[in-house]
Amino acid sequence: MSAAAGTKTRAKPASAAERAVLQYEVEQFLYAEAALLDARNYREWLGLIADDIHYWMPIRRTVTLSDIDREFTKPGDMAYFDDDRTMLEMRVKKLEARSAWSEDPPSRSRHFVSNVRILSVAGDEITVEVSFHLYRTRLNSEVSSWVGRRLDVLRRADGGFRLARRHIFLDQTVIPTTNMSTLF
Amino acid sequence: MADGTQSIEAPWEADAIRALFDSKTGWLDRRVHSDAVLYQLELERIFARGWNFMCHESQLPNVGDYFINYIGEDQVICVRDDEGQINVLLNTCRHRGNALCRAEQGRAKSFVCSYHGWNYALDGRLIGVPGQSTYYRGDLDRSRLGLVKAAKVESYLGFYFATMSSDAPSLHDYLGDVGRTGLGMVCANGEVEVVDGIQKNIIDCNWKIAVDNLFDWYHVMYSHASAGSAGFIDLASIVHPKNQMVMLGDYGQAIGGPGVPKAMQDKIDLMSDEERLAYARSGQSEFPRLRSPKAADLMGPEGVRSMGHPNLFPNVWITLDGFQICLRLPRGPSHTELWWFTIVPKEAPPPFRQAIIRQANHVFGPAGLLEQDDGENWSQSTRAAAGFSSRKVGAALLMGLGRDEVAVGGNGQTSIEGYVGEHAQRWFYRSWTEWLAARDWAELEATRSPPPTGVV
Repeated sequence: MSAAAGTKTRAKPASAAERAVLQYEVEQFLYAEAALLDARNYREWLGLIADDIHYWMPIRRTVTLSDIDREFTKPGDMAYFDDDRTMLEMRVKKLEARSAWSEDPPSRSRHFVSNVRILSVAGDEITVEVSFHLYRTRLNSEVSSWVGRRLDVLRRADGGFRLARRHIFLDQTVIPTTNMSTLF
Repeated sequence: MADGTQSIEAPWEADAIRALFDSKTGWLDRRVHSDAVLYQLELERIFARGWNFMCHESQLPNVGDYFINYIGEDQVICVRDDEGQINVLLNTCRHRGNALCRAEQGRAKSFVCSYHGWNYALDGRLIGVPGQSTYYRGDLDRSRLGLVKAAKVESYLGFYFATMSSDAPSLHDYLGDVGRTGLGMVCANGEVEVVDGIQKNIIDCNWKIAVDNLFDWYHVMYSHASAGSAGFIDLASIVHPKNQMVMLGDYGQAIGGPGVPKAMQDKIDLMSDEERLAYARSGQSEFPRLRSPKAADLMGPEGVRSMGHPNLFPNVWITLDGFQICLRLPRGPSHTELWWFTIVPKEAPPPFRQAIIRQANHVFGPAGLLEQDDGENWSQSTRAAAGFSSRKVGAALLMGLGRDEVAVGGNGQTSIEGYVGEHAQRWFYRSWTEWLAARDWAELEATRSPPPTGVV
């Protein structure tokens, strides 16, 4: 992407070719990031996280259509994740501690990312919507599956991207699992 | 006609149930965590018979506001009616049993069944039946077909509870001094409200293992070691292994965990609120949280010293110094649904409110840095103890047995003080056997043990 495009806000890059290149770059970043999590390479994953990240998973409720604006909790109210970089670093330190019993023996996870859509490009920041499926199995027979939609903000930095926002909207309301000890 | 009062077939005789826990030796029969018949008895004799936490009044501010909760596995609608009263109604249409409410919360003018359109008022009265004059030829007594209501609904400090048994004692008496002290902890900083968003997840553990654990200050250093070494929490500063304080009350009510020693509380009582806060923040205090002397109005002169965990029998855990309530809902012998309510003082300044929510979001719940590892241990404790041979082995609740004494303090409040121990767990399981062995309230009242005195 040209330097000029980085300073100008617009809905989409100009040409189809530019859009295709950006789509490719974004997808490759998301796949590489997912691969780091699947490989439990959490240190390197932290290297992709911006200092000002907001990593947030609100609580979803089953509500009627007339109350649908209350389906998700709002920022500042209760959530499953409401993390800044310090908290994510703490989660990684915990995973590395050799006493994180919920992840030692470690879970086997697979992060599927699909339906990647670039919603907007604003300066250095690209807002991306994806569908995800995080499959986890651990011990002999435990299987967890979390499915939902994510709104990620990718920021250009050092010739690549940093993850500046990850808002995770699960399709599940009652979390059907013993814990959520893996990263989304 | 089935009127709901018949006992289910119970191959467990009362003596066999009482023998499941030996309070003199501290050995517990592991079948209490896996037996399917005992589980069905629990739904009848503990959950339907006892008082169950429903909601806080702040969750239902307006007429028609409703919140779905459970009494055991029975879904109930908690709803504020046109008169402002909170009703607890079984969420099952009187026609074919269909669930009326499918949402977890919301606002309704009335509850209309999606099957045939029977319509119920907010107080449960059947107010409309399609085809009443034609198909039913006008011959349907709607007055007998209202939604089934909880036998009693009562509140304390804005917290609503319900029981399906009309023989149950009042909520005030059921909670007793210990249970009221527990809810007093929640309101020790003034009037409260529930923060929007209740975390819900299912752990594959027996519900009693989760209750046992809330009294357990032995596991903290080991189970949660990774949260400590990650720098999230200073575990050593919260456990106070030599300053533990257990309070045991009627019907299985209990509080367990750290307690401010009496001599230190006497010193605190002489301080103004400002001096107390300054002292707590100075680092001189072994206890970083010190309650205002005013909290003694709700918690009593001894209870105010508790920095531990109340459990309102059977399944309501009060934690984080009263800023969270965790409900443990039974979902079969080997599954429990956990609901986390976060509670803040209404007058909390925004930074204080945010600090409470931030702590609640990161400590507990399925992604909480402490709770993650609890879930792992509870599910494996349920599973590994359920096999044919494994369940014949007893569970050991031996810690501190016969080594401590119940002290009687101010206002007659009693406490067991000293090292980390398992007094509260033993009281919970002892009470549990008595609840389960008794066929009705009269028998429970006649056979239950009073809270222990003397050497325990």
